Amino acid sequence: MWLPQRIQVAVVVRLSECTAIAHTMLAKSRTRRQTPRHATTAWHLAVVGIMAVGIVSNGWADEPESPEASPRPADLSAAIDAVLEQAWSDAGIAPADDITDEAFVRRVYLDLAGRIPSTAERAAFLADAASDRRRVLITTLLASEDHAQHMADVFDVLLMGRASGRRTQERHEHGWRRWLEAAFRDNRPWNDMAETMLLARPSTPEDDAATWFLYERNNDYQKIAEAVAPAFFGFRIECAQCHDSMTAAEVEQAHYWGLVAFFNRGKNEMTGSGPRIVESAIGGFSEFADIEGTSSPNLLSFLEADTVEESRPAADAEQPDSDELYEPASREGEPRQPIFSRRERFVEDVVRDHPLLARAMVNRLWAMLMGRGLVHPFDEMDSAHSVSHPELLDLLTDDFRAHGHDIRRTLQAIASTRAYQRSARKPDGVEDPATFAWYLERPLSAEQFARSVHLALVGTSETPPQVLDSISRAMPDVLPDESVTGIAEPLFLSNGSALEELIQQGLQPPHALAAIAALPSADDATRSLFLATLGRAPSPEEMATIAAFLAGHNQTAPSQEASTASLARLSHVAWAIVTSAEFRFHH
Amino acid sequence: MHRRLFLEGSLAAGAVSMGSFSALFSAKAMAEEVKRQGKKCILLWLCGAPSQFETWDPKPGTETAGPFASIPTVIPGVHVSELMPQCAGILDKLAIIRSMKTEPSEHFQGIDVLTRGDGPRPPFTRPILGSVVAQQLGQLDSPVPQFVLLDPCPEGNEFKSFKAGNWAGWLGAEYGPVRAGGEYSIPNILRPESITETDHADREALRAFLSRKFENDQASVAAAGYNAAFARVKGLMSCAPLFDIERLPDDDRRRYGPGAFAQHALLARNLIENGSTFVMVANGMPWDNHVFQHEMHQMLVPELDNVIYQLVSDLEQRGMLDDTLVIAMGEFGRTPWLNDARGRDHFATAWSMAMAGGGIRGGVVHGATDERGFDVASDPVDNRQLFATFFTALGIDPNAEYDLGDLPTFHRVEGNAEPITSLLTAG
Repeated sequence: MWLPQRIQVAVVVRLSECTAIAHTMLAKSRTRRQTPRHATTAWHLAVVGIMAVGIVSNGWADEPESPEASPRPADLSAAIDAVLEQAWSDAGIAPADDITDEAFVRRVYLDLAGRIPSTAERAAFLADAASDRRRVLITTLLASEDHAQHMADVFDVLLMGRASGRRTQERHEHGWRRWLEAAFRDNRPWNDMAETMLLARPSTPEDDAATWFLYERNNDYQKIAEAVAPAFFGFRIECAQCHDSMTAAEVEQAHYWGLVAFFNRGKNEMTGSGPRIVESAIGGFSEFADIEGTSSPNLLSFLEADTVEESRPAADAEQPDSDELYEPASREGEPRQPIFSRRERFVEDVVRDHPLLARAMVNRLWAMLMGRGLVHPFDEMDSAHSVSHPELLDLLTDDFRAHGHDIRRTLQAIASTRAYQRSARKPDGVEDPATFAWYLERPLSAEQFARSVHLALVGTSETPPQVLDSISRAMPDVLPDESVTGIAEPLFLSNGSALEELIQQGLQPPHALAAIAALPSADDATRSLFLATLGRAPSPEEMATIAAFLAGHNQTAPSQEASTASLARLSHVAWAIVTSAEFRFHH
Repeated sequence: MHRRLFLEGSLAAGAVSMGSFSALFSAKAMAEEVKRQGKKCILLWLCGAPSQFETWDPKPGTETAGPFASIPTVIPGVHVSELMPQCAGILDKLAIIRSMKTEPSEHFQGIDVLTRGDGPRPPFTRPILGSVVAQQLGQLDSPVPQFVLLDPCPEGNEFKSFKAGNWAGWLGAEYGPVRAGGEYSIPNILRPESITETDHADREALRAFLSRKFENDQASVAAAGYNAAFARVKGLMSCAPLFDIERLPDDDRRRYGPGAFAQHALLARNLIENGSTFVMVANGMPWDNHVFQHEMHQMLVPELDNVIYQLVSDLEQRGMLDDTLVIAMGEFGRTPWLNDARGRDHFATAWSMAMAGGGIRGGVVHGATDERGFDVASDPVDNRQLFATFFTALGIDPNAEYDLGDLPTFHRVEGNAEPITSLLTAG
């Protein structure tokens, strides 16, 4: 249990009393701001207390006030580093070394732009003598189109699950993918994105495709509930379908069925303006039974939020539907909506200002950049999973809330920390990855891998959807809990067609690999290929090995055949580099 | 390091004259292959949890019994369900535990405990039984995969999520299973026609050279696991035929029966005969019969009955039974009572499992449940004792401590659990 003892007591007191406790603690924490190292403790207790009892009605607590609580991103980075460094010092840990600019440029491109840098981009960064070149690069990348694409890649999987074939195509056709790209391109506030997806009542044509979040689940309300909880609250609730969670007491069976009930009056309808989830004003009442067979009504409740009041017909009573229960949509041509809308109540009474919305998001953004969440796994933030650095999670959450759920600001702050810019070589004597004492190596996602190969060998990072599709089937993980290479991936890379086709495409002029092959000497080609893929020059040993490899087969062949053979040999070198761990992993 | 020295030496000697680039890297490849007289194991993983009442522990004449009768076996006084006539005939070769008593009664947690031997202790992941056995008894340099999971069904609720997890745990990826089964076969197992065998081997040698350099320079655990997985590709490709069900004799295929589970049990025999050390056969999660328990078990149990019979008989006929431990179990048992859907629900309080061969004494029934099967009446067995018994039967020290560097202390089986000696053959 990560809740401190004091807070467990607070959990059982009545809601109203606990509000008072929380506010008292908040007040105390404010007066102690001047001693940063300890101030966070009371603040943290207060936040945890509020979270644990989940007082989440509209405006449950003040937004953390400015200006003290609104540091510039640089100050936030420093605050993050201070927390981590204190923890290392307390634990007697010596963290990994700082990374070189060469390592940094690869890392930050992969994390923020979703691909390795091109040779030119890399060279431009390394030639920059300005002392703030790393900060400038982070800012530039966050504003890039690659960033929007990368975030859309990641969040498509996190919000919708991995898809392939027709389902991927549908996400494109119905504009879901474009909606995600636009949202991240505009750095849309996360709470706004969340509410737009969950209300699924687009007020502008630009938001039409946000309905796809619910629509793709095709009236499967349990599937919707099981997606909403981890995506927006950082909780997994599957187990609570049948019983209160056995590992995390705060996840109750009533929450599972409550969350289902918020959505179970919706019905998919393909309208003239696109997919819509039309909501009924009646129905959706049921009972759920626990393991002992005791039945309970599916009230509109979730994670200890105040249960949304609703009149409930008697068990066998017929509930008449009538036009009086509806009002027209504010936007012309949209389906009518119930005057009492469960979905609207969910968005306004539960989601809006819910502290977990920010908390889950910053934990996920942290995991994207740092390799694992402050709570791990990042979408199981229940009491069974401890927070490695509670004050840090609070710090990030408060900052995120205080700055309008600004995703880019949080990414910028994390990427600018010294902690992010540490070597991936684990220091001796430290085993726990939750210390973040070194940069956690991890495999590239399918998209990061495909876009990087495409950039290095074909010449652009704009990778065709079918290539992304075939590679993501073999490498489905995004932010995996653990990275373990099974035998399937080596087989796919060795014998599958997807990577081979990319390499062959690269060999066709005017693509990148063809240009490398046309260089005057084999050594030039090797150097150029290393730079394009690994961003470094080959070592003398590597040069010699590859020279031997390239010379391997064309001693006596006639010149035409020799040229074909050497092209094939070069394609094998390219294969060997992009399937080597140095390319395949993030480090 | 050897490899690097060897390579430099070769280059100095003039590598251009060599026919195959990969020959540069085969320094240690032909090292003597010490064939250990190791034991082997087939785990028939009955995922979802079968009912003890319709298998090994019938309760005739009580309200627990259900519609199926019990029948006598070759062991006087011991009865099993009438759905298992073939096993009844070879019960002298089987050992039954009727007094399993474990904790988790949810699938994921139950699968975790009954395949790894103990509950989780985050962030450390205990290796699964097959990984431990493969590591202890397997020949890592064998091209035949030492730990194979045959599972024709990619689905299976909690088992599906379990399959996605880390099986080899702290032993490392090289001890994880090779997964195959059914129509799915092993994807990408064949070399594409567009590349010659020599080029395929050469470029892999180059890949390994580059990748190992990174692994060493960075002391990278992830790269080590990644490279270990690649190192298995060639061997696995060379034994692709072993996984081809179509190549097995028609008569064998008929004897085992048409079901996917039965066919894969036969494939398990084939793999064990040809050098695998541990084969786990599953079929999604078919045993979780909360609905229409009797109808479902009426289909599932006879197939299991035949599979155990054929497997034990085949291994015996080939002289392999003494060295091959066969285990048949799920993650718990089922309730003595029926729910409203005429299903039996999860029940970890008192359940049964069966074993044969490989250091296990046949004809033994260990423990008992009360008259109606509501609880264990004598000799309760928990997961730790069960795993201590497996390991001892296979000649592996159950109480050995793992050598895990800075990690906390872990034992192969925790709590100094003792094996059940009455189930073990002498010595």
